[in-house]
Amino acid sequence: MTDTIAGAHRDADSYHAPRRASLGVRLLRSYRTEIAIAVAIILIELVVSLWSPQALSYGNIANIAQASAPLILMSLGVFLVIATSGIDLSVGSTFSLTGMIAGLALSGGMAWPLACFVALGVGLVVGAINGGLVTFVGLAPFVVTLITFAVGGSLAFVVTDGHSIAILDPDFWRLNGGELVPGLANYVLFCIVAVAALEFALRKLVLGRWIYAIGSNDKAARLLGIPVWAVRFGVYAASGLFASFASLISLSYISNSEATSGANMMLQAIAACVIGGASLFGGTGSAIGAMLGAVMITVIQNGVNLIGINSFWQGSVTGLVILIAVLIDRLTKMRA
Amino acid sequence: MSASSPDFILEAVDIEKSFGATSVLRRADLRIARGEIHALLGGNGAGKSTLIRILCGLLRRDGGTLRVDGQEEASPNAIAVVFQELALLPHMTVAENIYLPHRHRGLERVRAAERREEARAALAQIDETLAREALDTPVAEIDLHQRQLVEIARALSSGARLLLLDEPTANLTFAESERLFSILRRLASRGIATLIVSHRMNEIRAVADVCTILRDGRTVVNRQPLTELSDAAIVEAMGQKGAMRAETAHAAIRATAGTTVSIEGPGLSVTLPPGSVLGLAGAPGGPSRLIDTLIGANTDLHWRIAMDGALRHFAVPAEAVRQGVGYVSGDRAEKGLLVTLPILDNVVAAARIAGRRWFAGRREARVTQDALERLAIKAGSIDDSPLTLSGGTQQKLLLARWLERIPRLLVLEEPTRGVDIGTKREIYAIIRDMAARGAVVVWWSTEFSELTEICDRIVAFDLRGTVSGVIEAGNISEVALARATGMAA
Ligand SMILES: Nc1ncnc2c1ncn2[C@@H]1O[C@H](COP(=O)(O)OP(=O)(O)OP(=O)(O)O)[C@@H](O)[C@H]1O
Ligand SMILES: [Mg+2]
Repeated sequence: MTDTIAGAHRDADSYHAPRRASLGVRLLRSYRTEIAIAVAIILIELVVSLWSPQALSYGNIANIAQASAPLILMSLGVFLVIATSGIDLSVGSTFSLTGMIAGLALSGGMAWPLACFVALGVGLVVGAINGGLVTFVGLAPFVVTLITFAVGGSLAFVVTDGHSIAILDPDFWRLNGGELVPGLANYVLFCIVAVAALEFALRKLVLGRWIYAIGSNDKAARLLGIPVWAVRFGVYAASGLFASFASLISLSYISNSEATSGANMMLQAIAACVIGGASLFGGTGSAIGAMLGAVMITVIQNGVNLIGINSFWQGSVTGLVILIAVLIDRLTKMRA
Repeated sequence: MSASSPDFILEAVDIEKSFGATSVLRRADLRIARGEIHALLGGNGAGKSTLIRILCGLLRRDGGTLRVDGQEEASPNAIAVVFQELALLPHMTVAENIYLPHRHRGLERVRAAERREEARAALAQIDETLAREALDTPVAEIDLHQRQLVEIARALSSGARLLLLDEPTANLTFAESERLFSILRRLASRGIATLIVSHRMNEIRAVADVCTILRDGRTVVNRQPLTELSDAAIVEAMGQKGAMRAETAHAAIRATAGTTVSIEGPGLSVTLPPGSVLGLAGAPGGPSRLIDTLIGANTDLHWRIAMDGALRHFAVPAEAVRQGVGYVSGDRAEKGLLVTLPILDNVVAAARIAGRRWFAGRREARVTQDALERLAIKAGSIDDSPLTLSGGTQQKLLLARWLERIPRLLVLEEPTRGVDIGTKREIYAIIRDMAARGAVVVWWSTEFSELTEICDRIVAFDLRGTVSGVIEAGNISEVALARATGMAA
């Protein structure tokens, strides 16, 4: 099929075919942001351990993993949206509302697996509303998700009139702490599977490349024949689902639904994506980066606690870290 | 070099620049005298745009000396630039784009009415209709060709003593280019110098006095009068000896298998058997409506398209793509390139969809590599961003999308925009080859010499955007085209 199409003329001295680096070098290059964050996380832990040796203990690391799992899952969904140059401000409210609905279902006597599916429906509905308004009505993602953020956040109070719900179901903890794979707690398993599956999809599936393509240049993507509206709709729906799932994992551990449970999480999830190398203009970043960003935020919070700094400072420290992360990213990209 | 001479508005000596490991300029020299029109020539990737960005201070040089008006430090208003990739403020109006960038004095009050009038006058010099109708339109709403005119008007009205124009005519029709040239000549007689980049040889000869030729970042011809250089000598200096040899036998192409496309619309009814190349000539308004219908981008109900006898009505581009319609946009920055993705994704994007692939496979790297080599695309690696490529090279990248799977109907908007002389020939050969394999090609170009060379039938649109005639194979000539499009020189 490629036999005799005319080759461009070339004068021996002025044309050199592009060369491709080896796979190892390519991976190092394309994951340099992620590698830098991983190193930074280890450094932070080492610094914290100077003050508080138990920072590196098994128990503390398990704590960090447990605390970061919901944020990781939420960040993955938010990342998909950001990669298409959109934004999802509603994930925190979805998180809270899902928790309340799940709490109601469980306290109403529903079997916990069924209650989980019902609660996941919350995320799907919110995501579908976001996706529908963005793709079919053509409203700006910021505005649409600001609306669902506000409405979802208030509904979380409305459903129980503001009361929190204690989860009494004796088996619900299994969602988070059970071991579908012996020796590996579910929350770790879910994170690993989700990150690996998404990273594979984003790099190796055409669908994943479309997500980046849309974020890179949506006009060009449309003209190429990429089903832009379907993909857009899909990422908002996925973001809602991830937020709900994150909420269930958290609830299964904490056993108490509160209407404010997701209040801080939206900003943290967006921050995780940005730390992980995603540009808010879309078309860049990775699932692994978003995960590492979420871990980093959790590690910082954990460190601030261990060192004994007043926890009111947490936000400031996180802000500083985001600044440093994007500055480093900017500098490494400038040199390249 | 001797001390700077007062006759030169700009002197650049031994300019060096590299991006990472790739050195782009190695000892480039350029001297521009006051009041001259100076052509800067060179193949794609020779370093012309990079040099211009250094001259205007947008990019820092790694070495060499630069003097503007005899001074190391150029006064900010001495130079006005039209960049190859346009740089307008999309949400501001045409008038604001023309007057705002100039004579900024911080808090100075914008005398809007006065400035608007200046902007109108500047734009009217080059396009009266645009000045009359679009002065208060946001730039985002006008098309590429009009944006180019706005950029030029901005530079012309800046009061600068040196204009740097990087392929200003790439998006212009013949008549508009002529108007630009006469303005440049008038400015030259007042002592204002112009540096102009173009890949169109006849244009260069028509407007410029002297030329400097770059090749792989080196100055190989330094300030020579164009009258002393033959076309062959210029092409050879650019390192494109092959260009002149590739003769263009205009043999009618007869493909054996493929799709027959018919187009019907106001004043036009043509049937295109497999292998035919239909040219579209004229100001962009008319052809673009037909093209948008063909590719499903913005369907105009006046046009009816049939493929193999079946009426096709594309509501969205995806439907056209599924029917085997390929498209190369003329507006590569806005509608073509995926800038944050590597070159690889940019090349295979079309085949992934046409081939209904699920996996971004390993084979793609080889396919991309082949396509780049076939088009002699200068790139560091297929993993680099397309933004590291020169303008003409980016253009080739868009064409490379369609080499792997030849579409049934290939719609081209100025596919050789900004492509150098040597590669242009190769692109003609490649397109002809695709036609020979059964593709129907619809080709819009503002370059009449290109249309006369390749097409076996040309539809001419007049300035109002309506079809003014179909020119059949025997009668195709630049004169006939100029007459039919109302762009008689
Ligand atoms: N940011 C960058 N990083 C790496 N390489 C670059 C970058 N910008 C330009 N180059 C390389 O520098 C070379 C010169 O580019 P330049 O844009 O100056 O060419 P040009 O002469 O203007 O070509 P054209 O006629 O196609 O516009 C090219 O080979 C290009 O790949
Ligand atoms: Mg250039």
